[in-house]
Amino acid sequence: MTLTQRQMVDNDRSRFDFKDEIVYLTETKRGLTRDTVEEISLLKGEPDWMRDFRLRSYAHFLQRPMPVWTDGLDRIDFDKIIYYRKPSEREEKSWDDVPDQIKQTFERLGIPEAERKFLSGVGAQYDSEVVYHSVKEELTKLGVVFMGTDQALHEYPEIFRKHFGTIIPPEDNKFAALNSAVWSGGSFVYVPKGVDVPLPLQAYFRINGENTGQFERTLIVVDEGASVHYIEGCTAPIYATDSLHAAVVEVVALKGSKVRYTTIQNWSNDVYNLVTKRAHAYEDSTVEWIDANTGSRKTVKYPSIYLRGRNATADIISVAVAGSGQHQDTGAKAIHLAPDTKSRIVSKSVSKDGGRATYRGHVKVAPGATNAVASVRCDALMLDDVSRSDTYPYIDIQEDDTALSHEATVGKISQDQVFYLMSRGLTENEAQNLIVQGFLEVFTKELPMEYAIEFNRLVKMEMEGALG
Amino acid sequence: MSVAPLRLPFVSEQNARTISRTLEEPDWLLEQRLEAVARVAELPAEGNQLFTPYLDLRAVRWESLRPYTETGMASAALDAPLPPGASAFIRIDGDAVTARALGEDARAAGVVIDTFADVLRQRPELLRDHNASDATLPVDDAFAQVCRAVWAQGLLVHVPPGTRLAGPIVIRWSPGAAGRGLIARTLVTIGEGARVRILEEQGPTGTDAGDGTSLDAQRLWWGTTEVVLGEGATLELAGLQEFSRDTVAFVTRQATLGADARLRWALASVGAELHKSRIDNLLVGRGSSVQQVEIGFGGGSQLFDLTSYTRHIGEDTTGDLLSKGVFTDRSRGYIKGLIEIQRTARGTDSFLGEFSMLLARKSRSVTIPSLEIDQPDVRRASHSSSVAPIDEAQIFYLMSRGLDRETARKTIVMGFLEPVVARIPLPEVQERLRGLLEEKWPAAASAAA
Repeated sequence: MTLTQRQMVDNDRSRFDFKDEIVYLTETKRGLTRDTVEEISLLKGEPDWMRDFRLRSYAHFLQRPMPVWTDGLDRIDFDKIIYYRKPSEREEKSWDDVPDQIKQTFERLGIPEAERKFLSGVGAQYDSEVVYHSVKEELTKLGVVFMGTDQALHEYPEIFRKHFGTIIPPEDNKFAALNSAVWSGGSFVYVPKGVDVPLPLQAYFRINGENTGQFERTLIVVDEGASVHYIEGCTAPIYATDSLHAAVVEVVALKGSKVRYTTIQNWSNDVYNLVTKRAHAYEDSTVEWIDANTGSRKTVKYPSIYLRGRNATADIISVAVAGSGQHQDTGAKAIHLAPDTKSRIVSKSVSKDGGRATYRGHVKVAPGATNAVASVRCDALMLDDVSRSDTYPYIDIQEDDTALSHEATVGKISQDQVFYLMSRGLTENEAQNLIVQGFLEVFTKELPMEYAIEFNRLVKMEMEGALG
Repeated sequence: MSVAPLRLPFVSEQNARTISRTLEEPDWLLEQRLEAVARVAELPAEGNQLFTPYLDLRAVRWESLRPYTETGMASAALDAPLPPGASAFIRIDGDAVTARALGEDARAAGVVIDTFADVLRQRPELLRDHNASDATLPVDDAFAQVCRAVWAQGLLVHVPPGTRLAGPIVIRWSPGAAGRGLIARTLVTIGEGARVRILEEQGPTGTDAGDGTSLDAQRLWWGTTEVVLGEGATLELAGLQEFSRDTVAFVTRQATLGADARLRWALASVGAELHKSRIDNLLVGRGSSVQQVEIGFGGGSQLFDLTSYTRHIGEDTTGDLLSKGVFTDRSRGYIKGLIEIQRTARGTDSFLGEFSMLLARKSRSVTIPSLEIDQPDVRRASHSSSVAPIDEAQIFYLMSRGLDRETARKTIVMGFLEPVVARIPLPEVQERLRGLLEEKWPAAASAAA
């Protein structure tokens, strides 16, 4: 008897999810008011300008209507969310000082092990505050700053204020406004001129506690001629009611710099993951977003690159796997604002078990961006006929010497390929798994090796389900 | 972001009642008009959230437009000369049918080409069978519902089962006087196994085409082509829009295909200040197929807003859509498309291509080739889009063959558009389209220089 595709994939996500009992020392009341926003700012001892920024953002959040171009967001109940909680009172300096319970969680996530290998630094977020943070001596010597965003606000006020909120202003969209009002945690990275950070910087993000919203804010500034690779990955415990994750990530790539930002998103299936990610790429710089989404109930995320300087390059690889009950509404944006700029977008999505994968993309060549080159490639694989796949590309060209190409295909797994692999001794399930892994390889091959192994393992578990 | 409904003084219950009374319509038609009036008041001007950022009606001088509410009741006598090579012909200019003719083959086959008013008097069942329901126009489209609410002229083209005609059925529409507007419907019903060609020409009124650039008093043409294809029927429908530049045109076309029916559209737009078109291809019957090629050549400040839907509903259906635009000066193209593969549509083969060529720095091309797929059991589902300047390698090749640079560029652009030109059925009209495209070229050439 052959195994149908539908029988094959039964994904038990609980194996990735766990939670711990934590006594929270400080948290705000459920729901969001002006008082909540003021309280967060007060608890953090922030300067006035940040409090004013939060209040301005809050005002915009209130008046901004909910986006209607994607569905299901009206199920978010903003009154049920706790907007700020602080699991421990101060930033930890060394691993030994981290509370045991939190440490156990991290160990299960594999952080200490990873660090022992060759990680440059770890900024781990436990709910809404950075609790553990280490930067290796050599990075400090190079002048590289890698710390929690809250800490950076106090320790590097000038560079912080110069860039914070300039790439993604609160008025950008409703969820950027929400994040700007209540943000907490996230990473701050500054790489000085000409410094090549030799190893990836990594931050694990954790969400914990029922109805905890998580609003991290990441700011990465890479100075002229410098280069860095930043990696984030996340996982979360399963709860019955919905959690909200609304992050903002701002990247500034100054002249001649190179930035790669890699994400493996694996939130539990009750999380609404609504993230605004944007980079400004100046002259001769290169920005790469490598973005994979396998978790969450609904993800809305289109990593964007604004090519602001001559000869800047954008490279975006976006991968999505949508299983039962999931909607991955992901994609990419490349906005050409200067001459001789180049962009490449590659999107791969897999939908199965009634999941829905949507690619939404925007390529724009603005007046003045002469001699631009842009390419978009979207491929979607549907593993069964209860799933859905959408492709919505927007291509807006306003210079006559632009060279743009866009290609997209949607299909199912080729039975010829499955048959061939089975004739070589693979089971049907192994054959399908191999085909899906091959389909996603454009992403996996860009990952550091241990991440690639982990990601392939994740895909395999998703594919094998009941057989595992 | 959602778009507000159209607020048009001439889409009112009172106006609908007046027109209906003038045309001595039966109650069911009046009810249909009133239903549509209510819909227009509710529907956003663009119902698809995907496309709302790309709706631009700023070129329309609404206050200058007074659509006709009284058109002649009668069709013209069938005594006009047939255009050479045609099998049937009708010409409607503003509020009057000015010519009508049936060739011998069309007459013998029982082809009807007549106004709704005459059909209602003589053979009302021909209209009621297809038109009493919503089925021939998209219910979610405000522009289509405006036609349904306050059309002043209706045209039925009815082709009985099994019909074969030697030449095409030619329909010529003109909007009428400056400051006026013609809101019209065309219903085309093709019987089982029939095989015909239709040429829809939308052109300037009479001889006052002029340069047509005065925008003080615009002309309005707001029409539909509602096609119903019976089992195994084949229709080739070519359209040529060459309105004067003081015209704004809204065109809604919808085709419903029965089993094994085949439809081929070949549509060219060169005229009008604003040409907004929506085409819905409903592939309902098993094995039905649609092929659509569409071109626009924009100059000055023209905007071509072209939307296509391919809706795969039955099994083993095929869609092959290709839109091409060439834009010079400050002209713009908004080319929007959606392939929808419904869960019932196993074995679909669907392609959507949207290609633009920009010949001037201030021209602009927006393409949105979208896919919504609920059934992965497809033969093919893909789209592709490109925007590029004229290929230097091609220019070089042609110059090496002795053409000068300008002729080489022109040859390449004309070649880009040729797939549609070649599909215009009457040689004379085909030549006219080539001429219209070439007329656009000098402006294009100087703009690019």
